[in-house]
Amino acid sequence: MNRAALMLREVAVPGRLQPVSLELPAGLVVGLVGPNGSGKSTVLAVAAGLSPGDARDRNDVRWNGDAIAAIPPRERGRRAAWAPAEARFEFGFTVRSVVAQGRYAHGDDGLGVAEALARLDLVALADRPVDRLSGGERQRVLLARALATGAPLQLWDEPLAPLDPRHGLEVLAVARDHARAGGLVVFSLHDLRLAHGLDLVVLLDGGRLCAAGKPAEVLTAERVRAVFGVDWRIEPGPSLSLP
Amino acid sequence: MSTTRPGSVARFAGAPLWIACAVLAVLAVASLAVGEVALSPARLWAAVAGRDELAATILWQIRLPRLLVAALVGAGLASSGLVMQAYFRNHLASPGLLGVSSGGAAGAVVAIAAGAASVSLWFVPLAAITGAFLATAAVLGLARRGAGTERLLLAGVALNALLGAVTSHVLTSHAALYERNAQILFWLLGGLEDRTWEHVVVAAPVVVFAAALWPLGRPMDLLSLGADEARSLGVDVRRLRWALVGLSTVLTALATAVAGTVGFVGLVVPHILRLLVGPEHRRLVPLSLVGGAAFVVGCDLLGRGAGGVRLGVVTALVGAPYFLWLLRRAER
Repeated sequence: MNRAALMLREVAVPGRLQPVSLELPAGLVVGLVGPNGSGKSTVLAVAAGLSPGDARDRNDVRWNGDAIAAIPPRERGRRAAWAPAEARFEFGFTVRSVVAQGRYAHGDDGLGVAEALARLDLVALADRPVDRLSGGERQRVLLARALATGAPLQLWDEPLAPLDPRHGLEVLAVARDHARAGGLVVFSLHDLRLAHGLDLVVLLDGGRLCAAGKPAEVLTAERVRAVFGVDWRIEPGPSLSLP
Repeated sequence: MSTTRPGSVARFAGAPLWIACAVLAVLAVASLAVGEVALSPARLWAAVAGRDELAATILWQIRLPRLLVAALVGAGLASSGLVMQAYFRNHLASPGLLGVSSGGAAGAVVAIAAGAASVSLWFVPLAAITGAFLATAAVLGLARRGAGTERLLLAGVALNALLGAVTSHVLTSHAALYERNAQILFWLLGGLEDRTWEHVVVAAPVVVFAAALWPLGRPMDLLSLGADEARSLGVDVRRLRWALVGLSTVLTALATAVAGTVGFVGLVVPHILRLLVGPEHRRLVPLSLVGGAAFVVGCDLLGRGAGGVRLGVVTALVGAPYFLWLLRRAER
């Protein structure tokens, strides 16, 4: 039996994603790269069990070997967390209460909420209504909520896009810690330089899987040029890290 | 900082609810006391004790049924509005604006015109429920979930016009000439005139359906911030949505079956409560029941105090400016 933390077998979404198969073991931080419209968000949503419409029952997605179609809704909330690329908060819940929603599947026990708030630098904002936050702050709320679920499988859609450099690096550190603790983090990103430093990279193009593997093997000069239309060189340049 | 347990909300949830109950109690007593024949608290007591026959008749046959219908209508419409706002993720969604009330009224009128009302009392609410469900289905088809305010309200405008026309036409061709206008007025611009214990019985299931809403407060929180998000957090979104659509539609239909189309209650009450206690539905569900009841009892009192202005007119006079203010605010 296959115990890959996340397995997609020939999953497809008409018009958006050609059949994609993928097996990812636990303990890794995996980057999902590809040009706009290449299917990154779709892959993440499908992996989270959120395939659109009628594709939901057809797609074969497994978490730790279990087909998600057979996992009851509440248990899914404990086993995988998904953070969308953008949040539309219509109602003025406080930051703290939105993060606490991550504990819904655990009977709202509130465990780990304070830690998640602290981890994403939200303590000072905890009592602010979410509909009055900036884009980057909203993104951190979504990530804190995903983290608060305590789910081993974390699926984040472009978590770094709206973040400033410092919070971006912190989110990356959160991802590494989660992987080190035995979880699996899969997130999409546009920064190929950053992707180069991750454990694995999955490259998508036009709704198809191009390559998956070690960053150095996936992000070759020819492939980056073919897929993204940019030149790829590795040379020393300015770099950022947490102090 | 250790107060992250969401359960801690419950500790403070009691106060606003008790205040709302107290307001409702005061308005209820006032509603029983005020009228053509003013009943002082002493005389009300005499009526309850059976020592004052005239007062007893007024109390038991006129004012108490009217009060109970008003409270049930308010509770039903306000909680229904609260549910629709969470469902559509739009704080301007409400049974009146989306045409669900009009659907209920059209259904009730068709049943009455077909003579079903004289066969069994229960045909009217059942027909109202059917009509309301048709309207809900139409809204769901016209404006998808999470639809923008414009799309949602335009769908409501069209449905309200269509269903109002159905109601008017059916009444024009079936009601006796002398009561035609009164009937059209009643169903299009709801009222509480001549409500009896029969109407109380018809509206009473509001309490049952509202109770079914109680445990859905928490998942409603998650749904109100996005269906996919809620699903990923462990909510059975498909089931929750069916339950919410069903309950909100039935609640509106029951209210409409006994009081006609009373507008703006489902919009104004949840919104004011959200401003007062925040967006957590575990608190808003019970509060909207009590607050809605208090709002309609209060509006009825206001209308009677102003010399018999219909309930639907009062709620519109209060609600429409509030709605316009909300729209203006939402633009910014």
